[in-house]
Amino acid sequence: MRQTLRLFGLLLRAYLRDRTALFFSLIVPLMLMVIFGYLNLGDFGRVSVAIDDQAKNQSSAQLVQILNGIETLQLTELPTDQALTKLRRTELDMLILIPPDFAIAPARPGQTVPQIVVYGDDARPQQVAVGRQIVSQVIDRLSFAITQTAPVIAVKDETVQGVRLRYVDFLVPGILGVNVMQLAVFSVAFALVADKQRGVLRRIMATPVRVPNLLAAHVLTRLVIATGQVAVLLLVALVLFNVTIVGGLAPLLVIALLGSVLFLTIGFALAGWATSENQVPAIAQLITLPQFFFSGVFFSKNAAPALIRPVTNLLPLTLLNDALREISVQGATLWDVRTQILGLLVWTLAGFILAVRLFRFEKF
Amino acid sequence: MPPIVQVNDLRKRYGDIEAVRGISFFVEPGEVFGLLGPNGAGKTTTVEILEGLRRADGGSATVAGVDVFSNPSGVKRRIGVQLQASAFPDNLTARETVRFFAACYDLEVDELALLRQVELEERARQPQAKLSGGQRQRLSIATALVNQPQVLFLDEPTTGLDPQARRNLWDLIRSIQARGTTVFLTTHYLDEAEILCDRVAIMDEGNIVALDPPRKLIDDLLARGFTKPVLQQKANLEDVFLDLTGHEIRDA
Repeated sequence: MRQTLRLFGLLLRAYLRDRTALFFSLIVPLMLMVIFGYLNLGDFGRVSVAIDDQAKNQSSAQLVQILNGIETLQLTELPTDQALTKLRRTELDMLILIPPDFAIAPARPGQTVPQIVVYGDDARPQQVAVGRQIVSQVIDRLSFAITQTAPVIAVKDETVQGVRLRYVDFLVPGILGVNVMQLAVFSVAFALVADKQRGVLRRIMATPVRVPNLLAAHVLTRLVIATGQVAVLLLVALVLFNVTIVGGLAPLLVIALLGSVLFLTIGFALAGWATSENQVPAIAQLITLPQFFFSGVFFSKNAAPALIRPVTNLLPLTLLNDALREISVQGATLWDVRTQILGLLVWTLAGFILAVRLFRFEKF
Repeated sequence: MPPIVQVNDLRKRYGDIEAVRGISFFVEPGEVFGLLGPNGAGKTTTVEILEGLRRADGGSATVAGVDVFSNPSGVKRRIGVQLQASAFPDNLTARETVRFFAACYDLEVDELALLRQVELEERARQPQAKLSGGQRQRLSIATALVNQPQVLFLDEPTTGLDPQARRNLWDLIRSIQARGTTVFLTTHYLDEAEILCDRVAIMDEGNIVALDPPRKLIDDLLARGFTKPVLQQKANLEDVFLDLTGHEIRDA
C-alpha cells in the first residue's frame, strides 16, 4: 500500500507536469462540446412539423393553435403528399395528419375514436420522439379539458417540462463518456508502450518492485486525472451551457470512474500487445472510433443501423453513456442503472483477463 | 570469504541458438570483475540471468548467497543494476528519479546524499531528460545504489561518453569499489577493462575462453611469443586529446 502510494505520488506529479498532454486531452472533448453545443448540431429543441388539417373544424383549429404555441415545434401547414416528399428528403422531422372526422368529444358507444396519424423521419429519431411526445400530451390535455375527466393536468405539465430537454443536456453525458474512454485507452497505451520501447519497464523490472503495486499506481494516477477532467468538463457545461444535471454528481462520478477502470484494462491489454509506438494509434482508433459513432455520443444510439444495433447496444461506451445519461438527464440513481453497471463490470472482467494475458512485465 | 557470485554450468538457448554453453566462474567479494567478449558472445544473456531478469535452462547460480533460479526477487533486493540504455520515467527531476527507484525497493533513502556521491547534487531539481549523457549515466548509477547493493552490475557504462566523462565514471566506479561494493562490469572497451578490472572473463560463442587478471592475460600472451607488428607508441591520440582539452569533466 505504501509502495503503491509513493509510486502513485511520483507518477501523478510526472503526469501533471506534462501540461501539453493534459491540455490536449481536454481540448478535444471541449471542442466537441462547444461545436455541437453552440451550433446545436442534432438539436431537437426545434422539431419541424408539417400539419395537414383535413378536418378544418373547431377541434382541429384548437389543436393546431395549441401546437403553434409550443416553442419547440416549428409548424407549417402542408398537404400530405408534399409533406411526405419533404420527409423523405429529411427536410421535415414529422407530419401530423388530422383526419376529416377529427373531433375532441366524449366517445360515444359504437363510434370509432378518430385517429391522428403521425409520420416520423426515421433518420431523426430524437426529434420524432420529442415531437410525438408533445403531440400526445397536447391531445391528452385537450381530451381531459373537454371530457372533464379527472384533473391530472398538473402531472401532465410536469411531463411537458421534461420535453424542454435541450440538445446540450443530451450531449454532455455523451462527451463525458467519450472523454473517459479516450483518456483511459490512449494515456495508458501510449505511456506504457513508450516506457517499454525505451527500456524503462526493463529497468524497473530489475528492481524487486511488486508488479501489482506498480500497476495500481498507474491506475490510480489515471483515475485522479479522469476525475479532474470530468470535473472540468462538467464545470464548462454548467457555466457555458447552463446544462441541467438532474441526477447527483456523485453517482455520475462513480459511473465515470467505473468506465475509466474498464477502458484502462483495454489500454493495458493494448500496451501489452503493441511492440512499437506506431501500432498504438491505429489499434486504439480501431477500438474507439466505432464506439465514438455508434454508442450514442452525439445522437441516440438508435441512430446506428438496425442490423448492428444488437451489437452496438452492448458496446462498453454505449453502456457507459446510457448510465451517465440516465443519471444526468433523468435523475436516475445508481440502483436504477444497475443493468448498465453489470454490463460495465462484465466488460471490465473481460478487459482484465485480456490485459493479464497480454501484459507480461517479465517479458521486457 | 565465499565468492559473492558463483556460477556453475550455466546454460541458455534461444531456439536453435545456444547462447550460453555451460559456463562456470565465480566473483570474489570486493573485486571489479569484467565480462568481455564480442557482440553475440552471450555476455548480456549471462548478466541478465544473474540479475534475475531472465530464466536459465540449466546449471546453477547464486548472487550474494541467494539462488538466482529459486529467488530472483531476493537477488534483486541485494544487487544494483545499470542497464545499457539508461531509461527513466518521464517528467521527473534527478532527485525524484532516485526517489522513484527507492520506492521500487520500498526504501526511504537520502536522495541528495546519493546524488552527491555521483556528483549530481546541484542537478537535483533538474528534469532528468535535460541531463547530459555522462550525467545520465551517473544518475543511473545513483539509482542502482539506492538499496546499498552488495553487487553492482554495470552494462557498458561508458558507451557514448567523451573521454573526460569516461575517466570521471572510472573514478566513480573505483570509489564505489573502495566502499566495499563488488562491481560486475561488461564492456566493449578493453582499455577500460584493463584499467578497472581486477579480473576479466573473456566470452566467445557462449563459452568462457579465458579468466584471469588483465596483467596475467597479457603476460601469458607475451610468453607465448606474441609481438605487436608495430612498435608500441609512447603516447596515443587519446593522450593528445586529454592533454589539449584537460581532464576536467565538461558536463558537470
